[in-house]
Formats: sequence, C-alpha cells, structure tokens
Amino acid sequence: MRVKSGDMCLIAGFSGLMLTLYLAFNWAPSVDINAFQSPEAQRIFYWHVPAAWAAFIAFGVLFVGSALWFFKRSPLGWKLHIAGSEAGLACGLMAVWSGCVWGAAEWGTPWDWEDFRLNTFGLLTLLALFLVLGRQSQPDGVESRDTFSTFGLYGFVLVPITYIATRIWVIRHPGPVIAGDENSSISGDMALVLMIGALSFTVLIIGHIMTSIEITKFEQRIDRLQKELDGE
Amino acid sequence: MEDKTYLSIAYLGMILGLAIWTWTTISRSRKLELRIIAMEESLNIKQTEADSIAVVNENTTE
Repeated sequence: MRVKSGDMCLIAGFSGLMLTLYLAFNWAPSVDINAFQSPEAQRIFYWHVPAAWAAFIAFGVLFVGSALWFFKRSPLGWKLHIAGSEAGLACGLMAVWSGCVWGAAEWGTPWDWEDFRLNTFGLLTLLALFLVLGRQSQPDGVESRDTFSTFGLYGFVLVPITYIATRIWVIRHPGPVIAGDENSSISGDMALVLMIGALSFTVLIIGHIMTSIEITKFEQRIDRLQKELDGE
Repeated sequence: MEDKTYLSIAYLGMILGLAIWTWTTISRSRKLELRIIAMEESLNIKQTEADSIAVVNENTTE
C-alpha cells in the first residue's frame, strides 16, 4: 500500500510531539518555584498551548469550509467543514482536558465559570462536538449542510473573542506567552520547546485534515459505486 | 496529589486522546479504501479504469 502525504504528515507530527515531550521533561528549565503553586505541573503547557493553537487552526478551516459551502456550494468547502470540525473537537478536547488538570493543580479547581477565556474556548469545543455528532445523526443533504455551515460561520466569532480574552479580561487564565506584552515573555529554551510543539501540532493537524478530506472523498465514491451496483 | 501526578494525568489523557483519534481516522480510511476496491471488483472495473472513472465522476458531480 502506498504511503500518502497525509500519513507522512501524521508520522512527522507524532515524532515532533514525542520530541517536544522529551524536551519538556528533560531539557526545558523549571519555572520559579515562588511564582506557581505547582511548578512541575506547569510543564503541561508544552502540549496545552500547541493543542489550543491547533484547535484555532481547525476552527479557521471550519470557518473557511462553511463559507465556501454556504456561499459557493463548493464540495471542497464541505470537506473542509467536516475536517475542521473533527480536528477542532479533538484538539479542543485536548486543550480543555490539560487545562482542567493544570487548573486543579494550580488553582485548586479544574474550571472557573467566571473566567472569560475558559468559557469561550469551552463553547467552541462544544460547538465542534455538536457539529460532529449532529452530522452523524442527520441524513446528508443540502438543508443539513446549510444548517451545520451556519453554525460553523457564526461559531467562528468566538475565535477572536477567545484569543483577545486574556488581554482584556485577565481573570484566572494566564495571559499570552507569545506576542503578548513585555511581562509575558518566556525564556529562550522554553520558547523553543513550545515552538517545536506548536509546529508539530500544526503538521499533525494538517495530516488529519488531509486524511479526513480523503475519507469524505471515499464516502462519496462509495455512494456512486453503490448506485451503480443497485442499477440506478 | 503531587505535581508530577497531575502532569502524568494530563499527558496520559492527551496521548490517549491523540492515539484514539489518529487510529480511528486511519482505520476508517483503510476500511473505506478496501470497500471501494471490493465494490469495483464486483463491478468488474479495472484499477486503471476505476481511477479514471473516479476523476471523471469528481469533475462531473462536484
């Protein structure tokens, strides 16, 4: 069986993530023990931040796909919508899970209902869950595609709100570690590991999106072959 | 709980989630590919024809 470019991206992404994990545990410096309640648990962020970053990319793909389907009736748009919602759900759940565990260690509670970023990001992940489960439970058709695309379009509003939330409403979630203000910088070694993690997650999510697009193509091809077999 | 316990729980959960997601996606892709081959065989479509038909179909239906 030939190796596909999607598979190559998945293998490269996984390798990068394992390297990130190794560096996070064995090479990245520890944080100031006076700055955190749980200094060791801070190492969660080497996958947490890249997972959230990858989720934002996926929601971007979902938005573009939804717009292409809704306004242009583009079949590629629908494939991107499916791929974006699945990838957004997976990465969103990873970011939420790791954030909850870190919150339990650092704050003593896994979730703060008053923190703006936690809630908007949680809503985005729930939106992706709705799109994935909803599509599986509904027959495929123009009406159902239009409905899900509308949710994909409106839901994207939450992405910029989530991104700027910690800059405007600093409640519990830490501020941005990259491209933030002068107080948000992290040390060179930590930033390097974080960058490797972000790059690896990006490659991995590209691999997943490519594979998901291929799956949708296969499903459509099976539908056509089934019609031929049925003599339609 | 200790810091390292939280760290282990977080990473094990993410690794497990990532593994399940990737395994599900790849196995779904492989199953569909095999199903297409089986259907094409039952329709007596040769592989070279199948690929060209798929391209034609994609251009006409999409």
